[in-house]
Amino acid sequence: MLLAVLIANSEGNILVERFNGVPAEERLHWRSFLVKLGADNLRGVKNEELLVANHKSVYIVYTVLGDVSLFVVGKDEYDELALAETIFVITSALKDVCGKPPTERLFLDKYGKICLCLDEIVWKGLLENTDKDRIKRLIRLKPPTDF
Amino acid sequence: MAQPLVKKDDDRDDEVDYSPFLGIEKGAVLQEARVFNDPQLDARRCSQVITKLLYLLNQGETLTKVEATEVFFAVTKLFQSKDIGLRRMVYLMIKELSPSADEVIIVTSSLMKDMNSRTDMYRANAIRVLCRITDGTLLTQIERYLKQAIVDKSPVVASAALVSGIHLLQTNPDIVKRWSNEVQEAVQSRAALVQFHALALLHQIRQNDRLAVNKLVTSLTKGSIRSPLAQCLLIRYTSQVIRESGVNAQTGDRPFYDYLEGCLRHKAEMVIYEAAKAITELTNVTTRELTPAITVLQLFLSSSKPVLRFAAVRTLNKVAMTHPMAVTNCNIDMESLISDQNRSIATLAITTLLKTGNESSVDRLMKQITNFMSDIADEFKIVVVEAIRSLCLKFPLKYRSLMNFLSNILREEGGFEYKKAIVDSIVILIRDIPDAKESGLLHLCEFIEDCEFTYLSTQILHFLGNEGPKTSDPSKYIRYIYNRVILENATVRASAVSTLAKFGALVDSLKPRIFVLLRRCLFDNDDEVRDRATLYLNTLGDGSVTETDKAVKEFLFGSLDIPLTNLETSLKNYLQYPAQEPFDLYSVPKEVKSQSLAEKKAPSKKPTGLSAQPAAPTSAPDAYERLLSSIPEFASFGKLFKSSAPVELTEAETEYAVNVVKHIFDSHVVFQYNCTNTIPEQCLENVTVIVDASEAEEFAEVGTKPLKSLPYDTPAQTFVAFEKPEGVSAVGKFSNVLRFTVKEVDPSTGEAEDDGVEDEYQLEDFEVVAADYILKLGVSNFKNAWENMDPASERVDEYGLGPRESLAEAVSAVISLLGMHPCEGTEVVPSNSRSHTCLLSGVYIGNVKVLVRLSFGIDGSKEVAMKLAVRSEDESVSEAIHEIVASG
Repeated sequence: MLLAVLIANSEGNILVERFNGVPAEERLHWRSFLVKLGADNLRGVKNEELLVANHKSVYIVYTVLGDVSLFVVGKDEYDELALAETIFVITSALKDVCGKPPTERLFLDKYGKICLCLDEIVWKGLLENTDKDRIKRLIRLKPPTDF
Repeated sequence: MAQPLVKKDDDRDDEVDYSPFLGIEKGAVLQEARVFNDPQLDARRCSQVITKLLYLLNQGETLTKVEATEVFFAVTKLFQSKDIGLRRMVYLMIKELSPSADEVIIVTSSLMKDMNSRTDMYRANAIRVLCRITDGTLLTQIERYLKQAIVDKSPVVASAALVSGIHLLQTNPDIVKRWSNEVQEAVQSRAALVQFHALALLHQIRQNDRLAVNKLVTSLTKGSIRSPLAQCLLIRYTSQVIRESGVNAQTGDRPFYDYLEGCLRHKAEMVIYEAAKAITELTNVTTRELTPAITVLQLFLSSSKPVLRFAAVRTLNKVAMTHPMAVTNCNIDMESLISDQNRSIATLAITTLLKTGNESSVDRLMKQITNFMSDIADEFKIVVVEAIRSLCLKFPLKYRSLMNFLSNILREEGGFEYKKAIVDSIVILIRDIPDAKESGLLHLCEFIEDCEFTYLSTQILHFLGNEGPKTSDPSKYIRYIYNRVILENATVRASAVSTLAKFGALVDSLKPRIFVLLRRCLFDNDDEVRDRATLYLNTLGDGSVTETDKAVKEFLFGSLDIPLTNLETSLKNYLQYPAQEPFDLYSVPKEVKSQSLAEKKAPSKKPTGLSAQPAAPTSAPDAYERLLSSIPEFASFGKLFKSSAPVELTEAETEYAVNVVKHIFDSHVVFQYNCTNTIPEQCLENVTVIVDASEAEEFAEVGTKPLKSLPYDTPAQTFVAFEKPEGVSAVGKFSNVLRFTVKEVDPSTGEAEDDGVEDEYQLEDFEVVAADYILKLGVSNFKNAWENMDPASERVDEYGLGPRESLAEAVSAVISLLGMHPCEGTEVVPSNSRSHTCLLSGVYIGNVKVLVRLSFGIDGSKEVAMKLAVRSEDESVSEAIHEIVASG
């Protein structure tokens, strides 16, 4: 299960947060934990360079893209490799929507489209679409070209 | 003001000043949402409003029931618009709002229409939305369309239906199970994602049918899967099948192993890793099976992708616990990972190396770790400290360099948890490795000279008081202890006073000087410190060089035989209801109340908890001894020799959970039955265990201690005691029946009815075996210990162990038969070796030390022969060990 996808700005404010199968009372813990993890480790990290951590059976893969930092959290079959795949899809979709690694402003400008992309990528905790061109078409309700 | 000479970027300037959501407010956005009701819909504006709503929801803002309903109804109006972008937004918005069952009806017809639309994308999205908001009744109506959609030629539609199926299986399993034919067809799809989703759903539908899963795996491993993701799933299902089917007894082959090995050559890294991981997790995996998996993991260790490096080193770390020799080939690659940018990877590499290292590589490894320790966070350091502790217990001869390392890092900066882990490790090493005692104590003394943690200082002072007086030169510790009285806070001063008193009590020659120091403490400005000093000055005698009274020593060193939690509860009660008479220590119940089931189950899912678990306050044997000595019937049995690990007497998830702990005394055994009642509507009373010892001839029952009441979810104990011939390792089998009176409980009030019914519950049998009479006790230097033992006590014989799966299996079987402590890491058998020597040590009942030297050899037909040499302080015990092996 993909437990969480979280996107924050460089100051650690949440821009998007999507939890699946995480009880409401634990979400705040997760949010602050991830933001702290980012603050501790993401300084000076290059765009899309992946960092990874695990705690018991839960894995976390995170990175920066432009002004935003991205975190994905998973367990069971969503181990570090599956999460790396997920975060790769998210970053490439983001770059596609924004045209470049986004600044915070650009990210917020494209907020609606980004929400649609995430909706295509993660379906209630399961990875659904992995190809950015396909996602690009899907959010415009165009059928994908690849078969 | 001078501007730097850079090209001015216009939109960059805007970005700093303004966010499109600046000052956004829920009320205002809800007002704006009225545009959804306009007769002439402005699609662009509507999309913007939905974006704002999404932003609010994603920020954690919630809509009230009324607001949500209002927005939902307004959004449904947008189905009139033909604008594609807006329609996509509408789908998302409905999912986010997840309307209640009575509202859903408004959109179902629109969605059903979309579901049959010619546009693929409308169909796919409508399916996803419908499945998200639907309930059982609606599902039967749309089931026909969903089945069609699964085999739809558009992959988007098929995937949407399949993923919906995965979610619906949780809520409506019966309906989804009917789709199995369609799903099976979809598994053969040419589209990679459809194949992945179909395989996941098909497996979930069939997961409880072992035969069907077996068939699924058999057909698919022949090679019709193209998607790497699906391939990973298949590998997982395959390893599940392998786990359940076991090894072919005739050929020694493992079914599907060839498939897993083939996947190691797949082009996708995720498939390779998944297969390697599956192979390492096979039960009783052999070295031959392991080698190809380790080879690919080794390649991943030098990958440029941190995620791959992490995955590989984490898997190797796990393998190192069971097959350390298999991982040694990767040691060079792992050593280079010590300097990895990612500290998680570096820590895993270090701890793996510590597990696989041999005695000769310890020093080199420690040098590398020293450089590494300075730049990692505390939580990683704790992991390393724990790994070093187990390494030191494995190679006691290396204690010097490992102890030095621990003392060096103890002097460096660090938080409480980290320092505590180091102190705990040093304390354990001092306890288990006698040679390390003096140097370890001095390291601790130096640490308290400059320790900012009161808890650690008091813990060390307490330990020092118990161990210091027994060293060759106790006087050298006094300076460190008395410095505490001068320099520290009141808590530490008070414990330092107690420690001084312990030195005074045990070392007669020091007593006059200790008295001088204690008298100085009488002028301390803290009550507790003065009280303690006065108490000790009055109990220790007159300050001359005389032996201290036995009763005084007992008072100073004896443990408080009352569980602290009970004492705390009693004191709290006393304070709450003040009484005239003083608090009576004897009124505190001595029975150990176990943790309730609910507390145990409480998940410790704190995400920040990368730190180590807190160490248990007292060891299990101590707790058992205290518990048993608090029961008058058993108090006369003498000193507890050994307590076994709990043996389960019921299956998991039964009404009553019972396990037994075997307590061995010199001429008695006591069975402690730990019972838990898992039925909330019942309370059990007068719980006893009726033991049939007809298959244990040398045992005679001498007493039982029934359990008065066993309410729901609160474990409690009942005991049965047997007499046996003194010092003899009598063995036998015991069958058990739980007998009790059951009373109904009203769950709302928690009160039990007055009348109960007598009932019985059959428990599993258990045995008292020879290993129960041997205590595991390590020796620091086996060779010295062996040579110091009288050679006349040695008994040697040879045994044939018959055909065995491997040498390692034979070694571990003999170790567990004897229940002794493996020394110097000799329990690990190097792979491919034809012979092996294993050294064991222990204490036989009657406190007789025993050492065992086992030499094994295996021939081509896997026949294992063993030479057993035993030395002990008593010849008859050497013979007894041979008897155990001969009859095992």
